[in-house]
Amino acid sequence: MRPVTKKWLFLKISSFILIPLMFWFVINFVSLYDKNYQEIVKFLATQPSKFLVSLFLIFAYFFSTLSISEVFEDYIHDEKIKNVANKGLNIFAILIPLIAIIVIFNLSL
Amino acid sequence: MENNNPLSPHIQIYKWHISSLVSIVTRITGIINIIVITLICFWFASLLLGESSYEIIKLFFQSFLGKFITIGITWSFSFQALSEIRHLIMDLGYGFELKTTNVTGMMVIIFSFIFTILIYLLGRQFI
Repeated sequence: MRPVTKKWLFLKISSFILIPLMFWFVINFVSLYDKNYQEIVKFLATQPSKFLVSLFLIFAYFFSTLSISEVFEDYIHDEKIKNVANKGLNIFAILIPLIAIIVIFNLSL
Repeated sequence: MENNNPLSPHIQIYKWHISSLVSIVTRITGIINIIVITLICFWFASLLLGESSYEIIKLFFQSFLGKFITIGITWSFSFQALSEIRHLIMDLGYGFELKTTNVTGMMVIIFSFIFTILIYLLGRQFI
C-alpha cells in the first residue's frame, strides 16, 4: 500500500471513530463547563468517562495531525519548513494528549 | 530533490461555491478545534492545582464570555463532525453531482446551528 493511501485510510478510520466521540464529548463539556471542582473531578475520575475522554484525545490529536499535515502539504512551498512543521506537529500531538491522559488517570476524588 | 507537486491556488482567486465555503470552514474549524482541545487539556491539568486555584477558571466559565465561547466551541465541533459525515458519504461514492454537493453543503451549514442548539439544550438538561 502506498504511504499516501495509508494516510488517507488512517484519516478516514480516525474520522469515523472520532465523530460519535466528538458529540459525546461536547455534550458532556456543555453540561460541565461551569460546574464546581468536585463535579468535574468526579466526571473525569470515574469510568466510562475516564476511558472515553482519553480515547477522544488520542483520536482527536491523531486525526488533527493528519488533517493539518494536509494543510501544510497544500500551502507550505518550502520542503525544509514543511518537514520542521510536520515534526513539530507530531511532537505536539503526542506530548499534549499524553500529559492530559496522565493527569486524568491521576485525578482522584 | 525539487518538489514539483502542484500547490493549492490562493483563496482569493477561487469562485466561491457552497462546497468551497464548507471545505475552507472545515479546515478553519479543524484548527480551532485542536486549539480548543489543547486548552481543555490545560484545563484538566489545572485540576491538579487543587480546588482553590480552580475558582478563577470557574468564574471565567460562568461569565458571559465563558458561555459565549462554550457555544462557539459547540458550533465548531458540530460543524466539523457534520462535514466529516458528508466527506465519509462522498468517500463511499455518493453525492458528487453539483446540485447534491450544494444541497449537502447547505445542510452542513444549517444543521451545524441546529445541532449547536440541540447539544446546548441537551447538555444543560433542558431536554
